[in-house]
Amino acid sequence: MAHGTGAVSHLERHHAHHFKNGHEEFEACKQGMWIFLVTEVLFFSGMFVAYAVLRVFYPDMMHDVHHHKILDWRMGALNTVVLITSSWTMARAVSSSQRGEHKNTVGFLWATLLLAGVFLVVKYFEYSHKIHEHILPGAQYAYEGLTTAKVPIFMSVYFVMTGIHGLHVVIGMGIIYYLIRRANRNEFGPKYFTPVEITGLYWHFVDLVWIYLFPLLYLVG
Amino acid sequence: MSDHHSEHHSDQQHHVLSNSMAARIFGALLVLTVVTVWVAQFDLGAWNFTVAMLVASVKATLVCLFFMGLKYDHKENTVIFSTSFIFMTIFMILTFGDLLTRGDVYVKDMKKIIPDGAVAAQTKSKYESPWLSNAELVSHGKELFAAQCVTCHGAGGAGNGVAAAGLNPKPRNFTVGEGWKNGRKASAIFGTLTKGLNSMPAFASLPPDDRWALSHYVRTLGPHESEKDSADDLKKAGIDASGSGGGSSGEKQIPVDAAIEFMSVSG
Repeated sequence: MAHGTGAVSHLERHHAHHFKNGHEEFEACKQGMWIFLVTEVLFFSGMFVAYAVLRVFYPDMMHDVHHHKILDWRMGALNTVVLITSSWTMARAVSSSQRGEHKNTVGFLWATLLLAGVFLVVKYFEYSHKIHEHILPGAQYAYEGLTTAKVPIFMSVYFVMTGIHGLHVVIGMGIIYYLIRRANRNEFGPKYFTPVEITGLYWHFVDLVWIYLFPLLYLVG
Repeated sequence: MSDHHSEHHSDQQHHVLSNSMAARIFGALLVLTVVTVWVAQFDLGAWNFTVAMLVASVKATLVCLFFMGLKYDHKENTVIFSTSFIFMTIFMILTFGDLLTRGDVYVKDMKKIIPDGAVAAQTKSKYESPWLSNAELVSHGKELFAAQCVTCHGAGGAGNGVAAAGLNPKPRNFTVGEGWKNGRKASAIFGTLTKGLNSMPAFASLPPDDRWALSHYVRTLGPHESEKDSADDLKKAGIDASGSGGGSSGEKQIPVDAAIEFMSVSG
């Protein structure tokens, strides 16, 4: 029952007392998530503006990065496919929980978690290659393949933007794992799927950021 | 979209994304990823950037409308989310409006404060002919350089000071002999110090002796073949080589401090 364990089956769940009904509670939670995502866009916008300024100031910076293949576009493309796939599995996890398909909910959540892990593994290989070759930000830059004043600036942008995006992936993985545990206790169904829905919004946002990061960092020279 | 069964209308009425729709959006996103990678192989100049951003925005729109459900959601959530992009645009416009016009502002303000020809000598020169280099001027110039110039031009004068990153065009690299917009003669450097150049503000508030000292010091940072000033060069710089004191030719000699005060009072 509701007492003690904190686990409540979706069939027994009641909305919080300050809401008229479960539907109103759900809409309020979802709107809160959208407002949070607004702050996330503004948070990332500082980095995107910094990227734009450096791009305008140093047109040769992007040319050097592109021309000397500082980043491997195949790794970026692979991770784009991985994240898009995870967005799809997340969307399926949400719709499964809405329909009360318990097994599918858990399965698609696991798939999303696994794909997030694959994303981080690819990122790990990229980072370790950069660290090994000393393709690092600012004064840490000591790449033997290219002596330049501009690429170290780009590497600052690259590590900050992908690092903070990667942090979002790690946090997302934690939340998805928490959802899996709750789904295993049969907490989600047609009457109550708010946590799955708003985690879905968060996860799609992480995908959105990468959709822009991939061409900006890896493709456009 | 027939997945929405009405049997649970009592609590959460919500649109459920059908499996086939989810699959179609997923497929479209994959195709668009292939498109953006494919297009990047061609050199389209500035269009590469435009096309990449367009494709990314189509992908982002698909994710927002279907995976995030904005198409079926209350319009107010769309409005809320859109505001973030409006503010991001304002952020971009204000930042670039400032950064790309800074040089103009410097030039305009200095012109307002210091009318042409009124940049003159407030102090009498210690030297008979400060436009000719001597050891004392060079060492004085070195001290002034460390105090006034290193922030942008760097300690060694290579144009790599800490503030250089934020400037466009970049500060002059004094260790290289070529490419000087006004030339490397002492009178030319004196002129640049007096009037400013692009992102470099005018240093007309420094006494002429100091500007000459800096000019002679800066010349020592690069290769030494730079030409000496002819009588004509000096004349162009407003110097009567037969007189002494250096600075301008003596007309309209308004002290800079007085000019600034005048401007601020007269609004």
